[in-house]
Amino acid sequence: MKTAFRAGASALAIALAAGAAFAQELQIENESWWQEAGARFDGVTLRGVTESTPPSNFISDVLAPKFEELTGIRVDVETTSWDQMYDKAIKDMEAGTGIYDMIYIEQDIVYAYLARDFLVNISQALEENPDLKAAGYAEENFTTFADNFRGEDGDLYGIPMEAFIKIYLYRTDLFGDEEIRAAFQEQTGRELEPAKTHEEYAEIAQFFTSWFQDKGEDVWGSTAQAHTGHPASWYEFFESVAPTFGVYNWGIDPDNNYAASVENGGTMNSDEAKEAMTWWLSMRDIAPPESVQSTWTEVATTFAAGRAAQGLVYGENAAWIATDDTKSRVVGNVGVALPPLAEGVMEAAESGEGYIGYYDGGAFGLPVTSKNQDASLLFLQFMALPEVQEEWAIAAPRITLDSTYDSPKVAELNEELGGYYDMLRDQGYLFKGAPAYPFHAQLREATAPIFYQILTGDLGVDEGLDQMAATAEQELSDLGYRQ
Amino acid sequence: MQSNRLGWILLAPSLLILFLFGVVPFLYVAWLSFHQWNPFAANPDIIYNGAENFRRLVFDAAFLASLGVTIAFVFFAVVSELILGYVLAQAFMKDFPGKAIFRTIHTLPLIMAPIIVGSIWKLMTTPSIGIIPNLLDTWFGLDLNIGQSAAAAFAVTVIMDVWHWTPLVTLTLIAALVSLPPDPFEQAQIDGANKRQIFWHITLPMIAPAVVATVFIRLMDALRTVDEVLMLTGGGPGSATRYLGVHIFKEVFPRTNYGYGSAISVIVLYLTIVACWLLYVSMLAPRNQK
Amino acid sequence: MKKRNPWLQTLFWIFVSFLTLFPIYWLFVVSVKPAVDLFTTPEILLSEFYWQNYVDVWTDRTLRGYMMNSLIISSGNALLSTALGFFACYALTRFRMGGKESIFFWTITNRMAPPAVFLLPLFLLMTQVYRVGDFTLLDTRIGMILVYCTFNLPFAIWTLRPTLDGIPRELDEAAFVDGASSWKVISEIVFPLCRPGLAVTLILTWVFAWNEYLLAATLTNFSARTLTTGLSEYVTTTGTEWGIMAAISVFTLIPALIVFTLVQRHIVAGLTFGAVKG
Repeated sequence: MKTAFRAGASALAIALAAGAAFAQELQIENESWWQEAGARFDGVTLRGVTESTPPSNFISDVLAPKFEELTGIRVDVETTSWDQMYDKAIKDMEAGTGIYDMIYIEQDIVYAYLARDFLVNISQALEENPDLKAAGYAEENFTTFADNFRGEDGDLYGIPMEAFIKIYLYRTDLFGDEEIRAAFQEQTGRELEPAKTHEEYAEIAQFFTSWFQDKGEDVWGSTAQAHTGHPASWYEFFESVAPTFGVYNWGIDPDNNYAASVENGGTMNSDEAKEAMTWWLSMRDIAPPESVQSTWTEVATTFAAGRAAQGLVYGENAAWIATDDTKSRVVGNVGVALPPLAEGVMEAAESGEGYIGYYDGGAFGLPVTSKNQDASLLFLQFMALPEVQEEWAIAAPRITLDSTYDSPKVAELNEELGGYYDMLRDQGYLFKGAPAYPFHAQLREATAPIFYQILTGDLGVDEGLDQMAATAEQELSDLGYRQ
Repeated sequence: MQSNRLGWILLAPSLLILFLFGVVPFLYVAWLSFHQWNPFAANPDIIYNGAENFRRLVFDAAFLASLGVTIAFVFFAVVSELILGYVLAQAFMKDFPGKAIFRTIHTLPLIMAPIIVGSIWKLMTTPSIGIIPNLLDTWFGLDLNIGQSAAAAFAVTVIMDVWHWTPLVTLTLIAALVSLPPDPFEQAQIDGANKRQIFWHITLPMIAPAVVATVFIRLMDALRTVDEVLMLTGGGPGSATRYLGVHIFKEVFPRTNYGYGSAISVIVLYLTIVACWLLYVSMLAPRNQK
Repeated sequence: MKKRNPWLQTLFWIFVSFLTLFPIYWLFVVSVKPAVDLFTTPEILLSEFYWQNYVDVWTDRTLRGYMMNSLIISSGNALLSTALGFFACYALTRFRMGGKESIFFWTITNRMAPPAVFLLPLFLLMTQVYRVGDFTLLDTRIGMILVYCTFNLPFAIWTLRPTLDGIPRELDEAAFVDGASSWKVISEIVFPLCRPGLAVTLILTWVFAWNEYLLAATLTNFSARTLTTGLSEYVTTTGTEWGIMAAISVFTLIPALIVFTLVQRHIVAGLTFGAVKG
């Protein structure tokens, strides 16, 4: 038996491990302004709630201590699980308790919060209080992702703190292997390249699954986030797979009385949706067997363990899969590409009518129930300072300011990540977050049990999607959105 | 006999705490159950809708399915735990080498938090990477897939529950068995009763109160199970392990369906009370009124 | 009766212990592997150890705070529930109070409530109703100790009742005739006879409080967070830290084992007592 300590070698791994070191390195411009601004709030403690992800941990480990050092305002960040995060923020805001001064808002819940007037209009608040406005903070500097957090008036209701696109990852070592390439060429008559269409993707997936099966190795041709009891599978289908077949906004038409079924003008049970489902299920069947129990977490780990040759993986995981050798077996062998698409989808995305995949992320918002709104505004601006964002992008690969892309450190990391940041900057506009529905979790939970039955095979694809569309319309009527 | 006033004084703190943290919240839930309330509906207010929630409930296929699997789960889990727990408690009544160590080992599962139990069982049973499917495949050629097979997922939740909670039954039964007076047993042996007769006519009646109390506790805890199953299967595959605790959790947490969720809870609570009351009255009440 | 070989018993228990210990062994296996190594065909025996999870857990100051909260809340609650339950059972078994059987049954109904839906009213009560000035019960250890009584107090009352019923009333009545006070009867006659039952109740109420997750997750924020809520922090969208969760659980077995060993002595004492009486 040997005892092994593994130490990270890449820049990213070291950065992740040594969060505290950043606090000293972080140089804030205009320190005296922050000191004066903070003096007004002597003895105030700000409290935030967020999910315990690397970007959020950077807030509690680095930004909070630095901010306190500058301004004297203490910041406590409660980190909790994904399920609990929403519930705690909602209970607090619904009851008007005022526990939290900052809440994490995932892109998909913001419309529900806006519909309930839970959030402070940050643009307006800063305009009305010019003495609170920090010189380094500029709303124009945010990437287009910030548009997700704007109200109908175009004002900002949340400070974006993370942004990722769900991308197509593939193993460059396998795709570049001469023996494999030759075998693939012989079998299919074409070069082995990352797939552009679903047919190509399926062909590659089948090839790899049987190639490694013949060799008796545990590698499969595709990943699948296909848990049969967790909403992760629902999300993979409606946010990442269905759009690539041209089924947008979960197959619901918000401009047509929230119709979901084809009969009423929706697309949830359209032929495209059924084709998408059939295709996705066929990929799930040749994916690693753990896929039926896989949420986003397990899919990423499956890929990192080298058990899949290609697959759709959330961008927040792409970074550690590609660079962190304490967690990943495929460091240096990860390629990044746009998801495979059906005909016409790219054109629709380019013209702004459709999208090719999921743009995921979150912001920090200020609840109207907060008792320390002014102090909280200071911290929110602090989070969005260009010099802060630059360090943050290294520690936890996320970018929310245009200026961050120009940083040399970020450019270096971009190389390591196979050009992921370039894709985020140049092609990010092709991706889109969740549709602007105030009933996000409600609709998902109402239809999910039927969706899981499609996955287990208890319901056929046609029958299942028909039922889902009917249930979705029923739920929307019950909630009062559909007349 | 001492004065009844002292009795009430001794009882008062318990009643007060249970009133403040049990009854008052229940009244709120009961009140909510007659209202429609989803903070993310088009109308986010709390609207009185009479008995509509309860009317819907009777025809709610998802709820009835959940009720069905829950009853099966509770039945298999509690019966297995009771039999195993009794056998093990009896085994502990004898002296043998290493008894103290074995007793400590046997109580270890109790110390583990349900969310950890759920996580570890998930890691052990996930297809292809879990140790249990791998061993079953190597040894017996069986394919255990809790992500696809409803029966497999159901069985694993029952086994997990039995693994986790049998020690509780063992412990409470040990406590009951050690306080039994030895005289009736000696008398029975002198009278030439066999083992089975002793069990049915002497042991069981004497430990019946403890058995019923244990069954109650296990019954209602199994009915409330949330964390373990949520971590293990998420209620899947499909709705195969969407037990009532999980069902209600999904109604009120992600779906924020507070009004309807309250109605389900009230009904579940009512059914539990009725079931327990019947069990209680038939087995214990006469003896306590002596 | 024929005497069986005690070593056969030991053999039987080795088998049972193997089944009991396997998931715990697997917890240990998970705790000494990097997450990525869990996603492969598993080997029963470990070939190498990866201690980083333990280093991470040991150096995490927040976790120590959670551990302290968990210890205080579960010990406080176990003592409170067992003590109040003992008094309540004494009252229920020794007095002829009207409606006491109904009260007895009613207490247990508090444990039947599905927890998810009770979180909202508890949250509202603890922030807005049960408060003194600015002090609210939310996010306090005392608040959690009281809330946990909703499931532990009924449990204590129900497990202690058979024990108290088993103690002949003639014993206390004889003491009263001798002129003993009520307190003396409870503390010097009834209490010692209840020790095995009390020990079991104490252990189990402690365990229930120690393991509770849903209530703690909603009703604590910063100062009273417990270990189970700490564990859930490792289930995130960018990865479930199985190894760290497992390492924490292995750590938490230690205080729990100490509590168990301390209290189990009294069950053994109870056993001897039974033997002496025989």
